[in-house]
Amino acid sequence: MTDNHDGCGEHCGIFTIPGEIPILGAYRDICYVPLRGNIWTASEGIYRTCFVEGEKGVVAFDTFGTPGTARAYGGAIQRVFPDKPVHTIVYSHDHLDHTGYPEELSADADIIAHDLCQQVVVGRGSDGQKAANEVWDGERRDFNIDGCRFELIYPGHTHGDGNVAAYFPEEKVLFMVDTVIPGVGYTTLMDWHLTHYVPVMKRFLSLDWDTFVPGHFWVMNREQFIACLDYFERMFEFGQKAIIDGIDPHDWDGLNKYTNEKLGPLYGREFRFGEYAAMNLSRYMQDFLSGGWGIEGNLLPDTSPL
Amino acid sequence: MSENRGNFTLDAAQAYLANEPEMQVESLSERLHTVTDGQCRTIFVAGDSGVIAFDTFGTPGRARAYRRAIEATLPGKAITTIIYSHDHLDHAGFAADLAPDAEIVADELCAKVIKARGAEGQLQPTRVLTGERNDISIDGVDLVLLNPGPTHGSGNIAAHFADERALFSSDTILANAKYGFMPDYHFANFVPYMRGFLDLEWERFVPGRYELTDRAGFERGCDFIEAVMTACQQAFANFVPIWMYEPMKGFVGGNLGEQFGDLEGFDGHIGQMSIRVVHHYLMGGWGLEDTPEPSVLLADEVAL
Repeated sequence: MTDNHDGCGEHCGIFTIPGEIPILGAYRDICYVPLRGNIWTASEGIYRTCFVEGEKGVVAFDTFGTPGTARAYGGAIQRVFPDKPVHTIVYSHDHLDHTGYPEELSADADIIAHDLCQQVVVGRGSDGQKAANEVWDGERRDFNIDGCRFELIYPGHTHGDGNVAAYFPEEKVLFMVDTVIPGVGYTTLMDWHLTHYVPVMKRFLSLDWDTFVPGHFWVMNREQFIACLDYFERMFEFGQKAIIDGIDPHDWDGLNKYTNEKLGPLYGREFRFGEYAAMNLSRYMQDFLSGGWGIEGNLLPDTSPL
Repeated sequence: MSENRGNFTLDAAQAYLANEPEMQVESLSERLHTVTDGQCRTIFVAGDSGVIAFDTFGTPGRARAYRRAIEATLPGKAITTIIYSHDHLDHAGFAADLAPDAEIVADELCAKVIKARGAEGQLQPTRVLTGERNDISIDGVDLVLLNPGPTHGSGNIAAHFADERALFSSDTILANAKYGFMPDYHFANFVPYMRGFLDLEWERFVPGRYELTDRAGFERGCDFIEAVMTACQQAFANFVPIWMYEPMKGFVGGNLGEQFGDLEGFDGHIGQMSIRVVHHYLMGGWGLEDTPEPSVLLADEVAL
């Protein structure tokens, strides 16, 4: 447990407020379904991940975002494979809401992460997020762990740090977190590197897959994946137009009125449009007003096929 | 003739880029002046033979209007130096339209981001600073330029004017609550770094937007950001749906309204601020900038 606040009773991530933090320990029901081959997918309703059955144990991707949810995830895996422990955890990226609590999932598991993810995990020192003990760098790496065969791919800077996809070529499944997600983007596209995002994600279209598992909500197909990228590509145009039309990126009512009027006819039926289209637009406007953010937001992306 | 575009790609942006708003200048001393277009704000300083201009404003038209405001205030003196407060185009994007031949001073990380970005009109710095404090003399003006660490944007430097008892820091603390979604803020060390400026002697604070404030207003701004960070943790801890605007606005606004509700823009901005800040705790911060000993991922990818 952390020593930076008293009485939390759980691993506390980067919380600094004293006393109990009820949400951290709360149990969440996990829904899990077989996907294809030895791949399963699990969700608590909002977040989604994958786990893979090996010969002796299980490879679990990510941990969910609280100690309580990580325990529930581990419990769900054990219900499916009662004699097979989670011996390996793969971090999709650095963010605590996906990879913050490996100890509650499986305390002794090996942890795999991309070097860019590992640098942030180590630098952050968050209570509960353990550093990986197998770190890889570069763009692609094949893994065969206990009969679980997959490739990890770092296509470029997309969201968070060291965000990797898992490609299962035999099953034609691609899993990647917080990049392509059903519907419009999440809030203001937190920690997305917009310059890279669309061209980098399009690199995955050079691979043979027909099922995409996102980090949130439901499983998608290839056509839905492409449609999602089209939305984000068009937002570059809408972001510029909104500035030209005199919209203030911080005028919440004005943003909503504008998105309802201009984007509603095109995307109004998309999942979460009413919640987030205005936030998406504000974020894209910032990309033109301020320029991309930091080194990651401004380097030229690699757009070559994978 | 087309305007420098920054990152814009649409031809329809030309009118927006060309617009030259009225600038309002206020003199803080015989040599130090502040100027605003009604939203962004910066400072310029009279040197012995020329002018040291901080930033450029955010379009070619605004940069030209800024230049005219300087010429009207300090007739006969050309802009010989531009100091970039940070990398963002809305503050430092158009040196090519303000004073293309000026020396340009910036922090090393700011210079790297600008080089990687390659935005049209944002000229590359010619003099790069490193470290937390640089005491430099330019054209007879002694400047203290301070970069305590990641606060907002990349390579954000503040300027302390001991004689005027003034501090300038762009897009960090505001005199009001109009922070919006707090784009490109680095929260892990933001408040401690800002409070560090209180170790210096100054009475007047010039922010990068809106109106001036004094030392007490600056301290209250730090208190406000800190209170939002605490209230956002409490929201998260107590099952407020942190991904929804209205519940977050209701919880954080309700908790802080009595103490900070008089700040201009509080009602319109507290929901946006809350959505952004609570995700700091959900996700753990963004990149190495948001770690206890901050640095920058991939900084070595760009050579100056």
